[in-house]
Amino acid sequence: SPWLPDTSSCVISLATISTRRVPLEALSEPESLGIVVGIVFLVLAILFQYFNFTSDSNWLVEYNAALASIYFMTLIGFVDDVLDIPWRVKLLLPSFVALPLLMAYAGHTTIIIPKPLIPYVGLEILDLGWIYKLYMGLLAVFCTNSINIHAGLNGLEVGQTVVIASAKMTHLSNSQIMIHNIMQIGASTGPEQKQAHAFSIYLVQPLLATSLSLLSFNWYPSSVFVGDTYTYFAGTTMAVVGIIGHFSETLLIFFAPQVLNFLLSLPQLSGLVPCARHRLPRFDSKSGLLTGTNDGTLVNFTLRILGKMSEKSLCTVLLVVQQCLSRPLAIPRYLQSDELLYLHELPYGCPQDIDIHVIQRTSFTCMVKSLLR
Amino acid sequence: MAARKRASADASTEPKPQEKPKSQDPTPAEPPTAPLKVKSGFIVKLSLLLLGPYLYLIFHHYKIDQDLKRPILINAGLSIVGFFVTLKLIPVASRYVIRRNLFGYDINKKGTPGGTLRVPESLGIVVGIVFLVLAILFQYFNFTSDSNWLVEYNAALASICFMTLLGFVDDVLDTPWRVKLLLPSFAALPLLMAYAGHTTIIIPKPLIPYVGLEILDLGWIYKLYMGLLAVFCTNSINIHAGLNGLEVGQTVVIASAIMIHNIMQIGASTDPEQKQAHAFSIYLVQPLLATSLALLSFNWYPSSVFVGDTYTYFAGMTMAVVGILGHFSETLLIFFAPQVLNFLLSLPQLSGFVPCPRHRLPRFDSKSGLLTGTNDGTLVNFTLRILGRMSEKSLCTVLLVFQAIACCLCFVLRYFLAGWYK
Repeated sequence: SPWLPDTSSCVISLATISTRRVPLEALSEPESLGIVVGIVFLVLAILFQYFNFTSDSNWLVEYNAALASIYFMTLIGFVDDVLDIPWRVKLLLPSFVALPLLMAYAGHTTIIIPKPLIPYVGLEILDLGWIYKLYMGLLAVFCTNSINIHAGLNGLEVGQTVVIASAKMTHLSNSQIMIHNIMQIGASTGPEQKQAHAFSIYLVQPLLATSLSLLSFNWYPSSVFVGDTYTYFAGTTMAVVGIIGHFSETLLIFFAPQVLNFLLSLPQLSGLVPCARHRLPRFDSKSGLLTGTNDGTLVNFTLRILGKMSEKSLCTVLLVVQQCLSRPLAIPRYLQSDELLYLHELPYGCPQDIDIHVIQRTSFTCMVKSLLR
Repeated sequence: MAARKRASADASTEPKPQEKPKSQDPTPAEPPTAPLKVKSGFIVKLSLLLLGPYLYLIFHHYKIDQDLKRPILINAGLSIVGFFVTLKLIPVASRYVIRRNLFGYDINKKGTPGGTLRVPESLGIVVGIVFLVLAILFQYFNFTSDSNWLVEYNAALASICFMTLLGFVDDVLDTPWRVKLLLPSFAALPLLMAYAGHTTIIIPKPLIPYVGLEILDLGWIYKLYMGLLAVFCTNSINIHAGLNGLEVGQTVVIASAIMIHNIMQIGASTDPEQKQAHAFSIYLVQPLLATSLALLSFNWYPSSVFVGDTYTYFAGMTMAVVGILGHFSETLLIFFAPQVLNFLLSLPQLSGFVPCPRHRLPRFDSKSGLLTGTNDGTLVNFTLRILGRMSEKSLCTVLLVFQAIACCLCFVLRYFLAGWYK
């Protein structure tokens, strides 16, 4: 892209200031190019609003609240890249950032109890109220920071975002078709759910597109680094999409590697085990391979299991893991005749006693399967 | 336009030459940094002067009903908390900023010991972030989730946040000026999308026979005007700068005038829509005023911190936003009369007809400590040419008094022309 190199030369000055990143090669790379992605994304999101929403639509509130949250987080991310904010502040600020969204969230705060647990709980649907909102706030904090700590290899941060975003788009399209089909057969389910998923797609598509553009520079060997600006921006966008699209549980499934990485990192982050400044693998300049250290990150864990490998192969492996953990978890949902997993993923408002086999037949994945049979 | 020499990135790797120890910096290897002094006496006097009329109007003069008064007072309480939070955060942020080599030297003290002190830049980011947090928290106390105003409020927050982001990016990366002109139009877009108000203007009575209409619907031209207003407000504060405390000072004066105007409209109006619009404006201007006063207490002469383009963009955008959403943009432009004047004076140089130097600041004489006006086309130089040489502090005070007079004149004009043109 013709714009990116110009900005790179402006940002070289940031690279001389930034001493946090220790590139595995001894070159000085421009840092914080996530700011370009953030700004282009936000401009696209604003312009799209003009083409789609009328000024008195109900969704305008949630859309603007979503944009306000993403703007604020990108600002915080860039300030952090420049000034190096202490980590306690970094943990606290995303909760404020999520507030406009929580205020505007007009959706349900209920969860559907999985069928096997109903005898113990005594209810089919449980209204969590403010606890659900607290959960959404924590989700925002988690998403932003988890991408940030699952990083350190060329192309890892942007790569994982691209994988999750495309998984989400598949899931959203899948759900759209499912909802559409259910509506077709006459079951009553609110058009809000359809609108919610469409809304999510409106935000995920620009994210995917701008991230792919950044990845084209950031993939091994990196010409630019993305900075905390990018990881915060991407994490917030995905949390926002999950909250407004009402599929935050599925979002957590997509984030499974990040959750795993977080659990592996807990001992060091909480201080129980001494925590180095960078928990990166060790680089052997003669062989050009990385060796896993004893640090508790998914990167090092993978290296310890699979042995020494180059940075490019390691990143590819991790992205494939990301992909695999997102997809097959979706498919068994539709294949299982166990009603436990079905009802949890039903569109909100859909009657609980709908015929499971009808859903099986109307699911896109099963349609493909039956076509291939 | 930064009126101070920005330290270049490569200079950061060499240690600065050692000057006579005038600063309180204990380690001799570090170059001297401007001491962080709070000019509390000045701030207290200024607050009383500006807020006095406002408090009188809100508590004594007008009968404002409880459901409007309560949120205003809650917002005022939140703003006061914001004042103290900003006061506490600025010294903290200054340390981080200095460590990242985001500082400048005060050109208007060149030749004196004050000109060798490093002054942290871009402290507007503290004001911006505290303001946004206050605005987000206030939303929680006031609006219900299905209010119509929530759309405009969120759009306003999105615009102000985007502008603060762009301002900070500009401070760090020094974007070219053509980009700087274009950015506020993008930042104003969320607002233009969400603006659900009228796009009509009322033709002044004397012109009705010529135009043939009483009310003219401008449609998209009105939205274009709003976008240009945003560009103007942000950049006009930016060019009317260069003295210690001028940028924040003018914002503080205009903000108080806006608040007084809002209260007068709420008190005198019977239309609930109009009352709500002006209340909305108060909800955003009170935190702006409070956080700006906190910044001014460090930025007033002699400046301990510089505000950076972050602050001027953030403040300009906030005021444009309240002018647009409160439906009083014409009044806002009259409050901005000195900025308009400065813009007109600057036009020859900005458009390139007359050669334009990097800084159009007055000349500083280090022996006498006074400023002399150059032939540059700014209000600062113009005032110096008319009134003769004076110190930086007096000049800034004169300009702020001029700003206050322009605002008062606006109120007088509105009073006299009330029946005549509207």
